[in-house]
Amino acid sequence: MANRILYIVFIFGLLAATSLKAQEKLPKKWTAEKIKGTRRIPYASYSGSPFLNDKFATGEIEFQDGSKMDSLGLRYSTYRDELIYYNTAISAHIIIDKISLNGFSFTDESGKKRIFRRQYYNGFFPGERYFEVLSDGDIALLVYRQVVLQVCPPYNDNSGVIKDMSYQEAYNYYLYNSKKGYELIRINKNSLLSKFDKLTQKSVKKILRKNKVLVNDEQSFVIAWNLLKENGITVNF
Amino acid sequence: MKRKLVLLALLFAVFTVKAQEKESLNLYTDRDLYVSGETLLLKVFTPASEQSGIVNIDLMNRKGKKITGVILEIINHQADGFVYLPDSLSSGFYLLSTYTRTDEMLTSKELYIANRFTGLPESNTDMKPVGVVALKESSVQNLQIGGVQKQYKPRQKGLATLQLPAELIAQLDGDLSVSIAGKTDEFSSQQFLLKSTSAVSPSLAKEGIVIEGIITDIKTAKPFNNAVVYLSIPDSIPGFQYFITAQDGHFYFEIEKYYGKIPVVIQCFAKEKSSSLKITLFDRNNLKSTMPAFEPRTFTPEFRKSVSNATDAITFRKIFNQQEVTIQPAPIIKRDAYPYYGIPTKTIDPQLFIDLPDFNEISKELLPGVKFRNYNRIPTLQVFNAAQQFYFNDQPLLLLDGIPIRDLNVIKDMGTKDIDKVEICQNERFYGDLIFPGVVAIYTSKADYTRVPESNDLIKLSLEVIQPHAVVNAPSEQRLNEPDLRQVLLWKPSLQPTPKMELDFQTSDIKGSFKLIIHGKTRDGSTFYKEQIFEVN
Repeated sequence: MANRILYIVFIFGLLAATSLKAQEKLPKKWTAEKIKGTRRIPYASYSGSPFLNDKFATGEIEFQDGSKMDSLGLRYSTYRDELIYYNTAISAHIIIDKISLNGFSFTDESGKKRIFRRQYYNGFFPGERYFEVLSDGDIALLVYRQVVLQVCPPYNDNSGVIKDMSYQEAYNYYLYNSKKGYELIRINKNSLLSKFDKLTQKSVKKILRKNKVLVNDEQSFVIAWNLLKENGITVNF
Repeated sequence: MKRKLVLLALLFAVFTVKAQEKESLNLYTDRDLYVSGETLLLKVFTPASEQSGIVNIDLMNRKGKKITGVILEIINHQADGFVYLPDSLSSGFYLLSTYTRTDEMLTSKELYIANRFTGLPESNTDMKPVGVVALKESSVQNLQIGGVQKQYKPRQKGLATLQLPAELIAQLDGDLSVSIAGKTDEFSSQQFLLKSTSAVSPSLAKEGIVIEGIITDIKTAKPFNNAVVYLSIPDSIPGFQYFITAQDGHFYFEIEKYYGKIPVVIQCFAKEKSSSLKITLFDRNNLKSTMPAFEPRTFTPEFRKSVSNATDAITFRKIFNQQEVTIQPAPIIKRDAYPYYGIPTKTIDPQLFIDLPDFNEISKELLPGVKFRNYNRIPTLQVFNAAQQFYFNDQPLLLLDGIPIRDLNVIKDMGTKDIDKVEICQNERFYGDLIFPGVVAIYTSKADYTRVPESNDLIKLSLEVIQPHAVVNAPSEQRLNEPDLRQVLLWKPSLQPTPKMELDFQTSDIKGSFKLIIHGKTRDGSTFYKEQIFEVN
């Protein structure tokens, strides 16, 4: 009897194995969108960094059709406003075609998630740009992280060559609304207050004081901005 | 111990059966009896759990051979379409089957198709399937059909009203299918399940059809590892996919959101060494099934009369060129904004310049950064790398109407008149894991891809992809002096359910019994129908 039962179990086991075999596996992500781009040519070496993140950070890109690709080694060039990814299969640094993306995100060395969005900028030097989203919403707080090559006092680089140019940050902060467009904003308390009428300014000051927020840099500005959003205070835009 | 083993075996059996349980598709046609040359209208309801985005419809003869087929897009758990019945079909019983690529069971329906030139067989008998178990379908009671008279005159207008209680609307999954068509009392068929005998494909066609195949080495006849397979769809912005084979040599492509008939080119080459490769495509769309048993059936005089009337009707419709359906324009699909090879650095229209006899002259005179030479009858092509100011050593990606070509002899004799435009990318382009050392994309004046030669490693296909939506033509008021011989008076395969629906129809010149039938599916997966019959005298 026991043999018979074992035989039945064996038959069922065989059936299950056949069913599993039928569910043959497909190559992973075989229908995934492919990244399009060009090879990155190394930039000239000067002091300062032409990149936001010096090392490749793991991140995600979103294509124009809304599909996403994650676990990519990403590096954002603030000098050229380009997103570079490292293709491990062919060992190449590739500049992803800006027009093919909606945006990208990555986690930097400090563990902070950085979200960038491709948007058309219609101001001075119009064109498609990657803006970092500091705070999203109806009125978004964006930053265009630009690094420019500027003349500076002469210095010797690591090889002892005298140079007089360096990569310098020239970040621009904007309030953005899809209907009203961009408005440049400075990162200080007065600039923040100027976005509210006189009556509201008092309550803004009160909220900032109560939460001990001193607006003097980007981080504190974003904290203040989010605090005001939480308290339902809207800016004049 | 024995009890435990028995319990284990039973548990195993239950799970195995449970795993194979799957709600079936439901297939409805406008009629059961057709004449060759007619258009068959159909509706499919799919289970809510169905993961595939498309459904296949095959018309098979009684030997199980596919005669024709269409692929329909599943929207909101349902699909509708049509099948042109070829004029060459011989009289007999046929099976219309529907399935998705993951189905192990085909939902089938028996149809009789009479050849309109030869009519029914002189023996007055034919083979009909037996022993099939029809899928259950119940008549729904709380759906009311009103306004339909018992008798109509030819070309009389009618109005049917459908009343659906709120509880039925809440239970519905998807739309209702409503049709009014000629009824043959002598022959009616029901849908039943057939077991598939082909290997069920694991690759889900979520949005479009899947093309599968294998790359083999011609010398060894073994599957080829690391072959690069390209799939190109020639277009103004060409479609392109690639696949790098593993040790099994298999490749897969999914053609998404293309409608109608499209040209497709599949080619392959060895990535590292030059080997002679061969592409073999699998026809997994043609799912074979176990055919039911058949037994002879003798036709009644009434059946012969019905076939004769239907033959006359379709013959007159052909004479007066009355089309049964009008194909709607395919939906506009937002595809890539620019070609996969990148935004061209330069675009040249050679026809704006003086006539040049061959591509060598064109490249010298008109194409900046493109070096095409034909020394010792060995053509070479190089593109200038604008970023690094040198010519790439390797041959660039060369495209002819969007189809990558490797043999430069194909383009060497192309003169100004043959070329519509040339796009050049003067940089190293990447597409996934592919590297293109510059791109030269030639678009020909004829755009007929005849210059691209077929071989073992290049296959040109004209592929029927998703069928575009079609509507049944209403009687034309401009053609009142012509006979109106419509067998289908109303066909609304996707009628959004509301508490009260009004359906206008007009009878044709055909006299006899007509049936208004409504099909629907509820959220629990069961299907229902409601019908009403009227006469046209």
